[in-house]
Amino acid sequence: MADRLERLVNLTATLLETRRPLTLDELSDRVEPRYPEELGSRRRQFERDKETLRELGIPIRVETVDGFGAEQAYRIHPDDYYLPELELTEAELAALHVAVTAVRLEGDAGREGLAKLGGLAGEGADSPLAQLDVTPGLAVLFDAVSRHATVSFSYRGDVRHLDPYGVVLRFGHWYVVGHDHDRDAPRAFRVDRIDGEADLGPPDAFTPPAGIDPADYVRADPMTYGEDQPVDAHVLVDAPRAGWVVDQLGDEAVLERRGDGAVVVVLPVVNRAAFRSWVVDLLDHAEVLSPPELRADMIEWLDAIAATGDGSAP
Amino acid sequence: MSRPLVGPRLQRVLALVPWILTHPGVTIEELATRFEVGERELERDLELLPMCGLPPYTADRLIDVSVIDGGVEIRLAEYFERPLRLTPAEGLALLAAGRALLAVPGSDADGPLATALATLDDALGAPGSLAVDVGASDQLERLQDATATDERVEIDYYSFARDEMTTRVIDPWRVFHAFGTWYVAGWCHRADAERLFRVDRVRAVRATGEHFDPATRSDSDVRDLVYHPSPDDPRVTLRLAPAAEWVVESHPHESATQRKDGSWEVVLAVSESAWLERLLVSLGPDATVVAPPELVDLGAAAARRLRARYQPS
Repeated sequence: MADRLERLVNLTATLLETRRPLTLDELSDRVEPRYPEELGSRRRQFERDKETLRELGIPIRVETVDGFGAEQAYRIHPDDYYLPELELTEAELAALHVAVTAVRLEGDAGREGLAKLGGLAGEGADSPLAQLDVTPGLAVLFDAVSRHATVSFSYRGDVRHLDPYGVVLRFGHWYVVGHDHDRDAPRAFRVDRIDGEADLGPPDAFTPPAGIDPADYVRADPMTYGEDQPVDAHVLVDAPRAGWVVDQLGDEAVLERRGDGAVVVVLPVVNRAAFRSWVVDLLDHAEVLSPPELRADMIEWLDAIAATGDGSAP
Repeated sequence: MSRPLVGPRLQRVLALVPWILTHPGVTIEELATRFEVGERELERDLELLPMCGLPPYTADRLIDVSVIDGGVEIRLAEYFERPLRLTPAEGLALLAAGRALLAVPGSDADGPLATALATLDDALGAPGSLAVDVGASDQLERLQDATATDERVEIDYYSFARDEMTTRVIDPWRVFHAFGTWYVAGWCHRADAERLFRVDRVRAVRATGEHFDPATRSDSDVRDLVYHPSPDDPRVTLRLAPAAEWVVESHPHESATQRKDGSWEVVLAVSESAWLERLLVSLGPDATVVAPPELVDLGAAAARRLRARYQPS
């Protein structure tokens, strides 16, 4: 254990310091404690070390050099390794410490990152204030955002190509937003609905438009999220739920306030299924008034479900 | 004895060395706190370093560590003077946590957290590319204030599961964000039990003029609070079409089995029938109750009831 750790530190130092890539033979001659003489186990141990460093985010470049035939050689490029000079103050480090203790995310990535920046300063938070889920595959997409790399991924059965401008957490879900090549339009995708991991293209493939806010790409309400022809729906909400609905939609959505406390609100609908769910969530306290096709759609939907019962229940 | 993992220790060493190089004389005690490691373990890390360096590992090429009057100094390790870059996962975690905290009402938008995040943004080469929206509800700040001052309050609360509006007196212990929404946890005097309320369903908060004893606060785990079915809650078995798979992902359940045709059979604890009615009427043909028999017709009955409003048609 101590020997291997020692060799990993030395290997990192050597690969960082070298001006030209070094072959495994050259590394074996230099780095201590030595790799085994026997070529098979030498290669295996080196690959294992390389993998450990890769897991820690230490980027080893593999280059081909001309020696006796083409041979692989290795180095760590200083620009890939070193954290840029950040000069965070002690107060800033303490604030980040509070953030990673107050906001819980799965895994230790936050604390590990903080260790690189200067460790835990100050007291941290005494109890968690928020718990955020981190969707698998999100880090890869964030990496693509940083590198300006086009990504491709499978989304509901289609392969999509996106210049990712940012990632956004809203309504408890992560979205990746950017320019969709296939639709030639801005789009947002829910990260947990992406199948498998995204593939990254080469870096610096695009320049994000200046001054964009990725949050603008994720519409404020999932109901306004869809491909149906947009239409304004009028919904009557009874008094017991009126206040709640107006809080949710804002005063500007109110078309009419009735004497009995009920309200008529207007909603832009581009996703009929989401709209139906919204109305159904209000159970007995809401009625779709217009347009006629949405009212008919709701009636047809309820009739179809009602027909599945045997009529014995009240 | 289990073998300690080499990865985390290497990671720590590569973070420690740059810090000591730029803060010569830092004490073992401070290093142990900063890097979350025991002092003995830290000493072992420091003992390792003089064996490390560059080929050919002569005295002038090995890392020089000295501890003078409790202060640690390192020389001959210029190549480790700056720490390793953040991985995408680390950068993401730091920015997400920081942005979330900054989005909470009442946080200092120009304070050290904001400046630290701006610096990180630049370093990660993607300024402004990560946004966290934790949402805000009208009553959030009022409840945060009540929590901070141990104030007993009366709330009007819409119980979604039962579909009814209630008024109750609560001792708000904690306000927190989870699963994309804000909750207030506390003692409910109406139920005479610990309860969890969604802040966006709190319609009004009124002062009672009383305070509660902060020592009564409990510190239950967030996830347990959000979902804690009682053993007495009825269990319902649902058959879900593949298109309704999201129900399996987004609702806590007792068991879920995928069948050969891609459909799911899920067992859920359902304490209130209004909740199940909504799910069944929203999903329509994609969801059916398999058991218990008295709930098989629940969705159809609810649909008939809602349909009555649209008469005549």
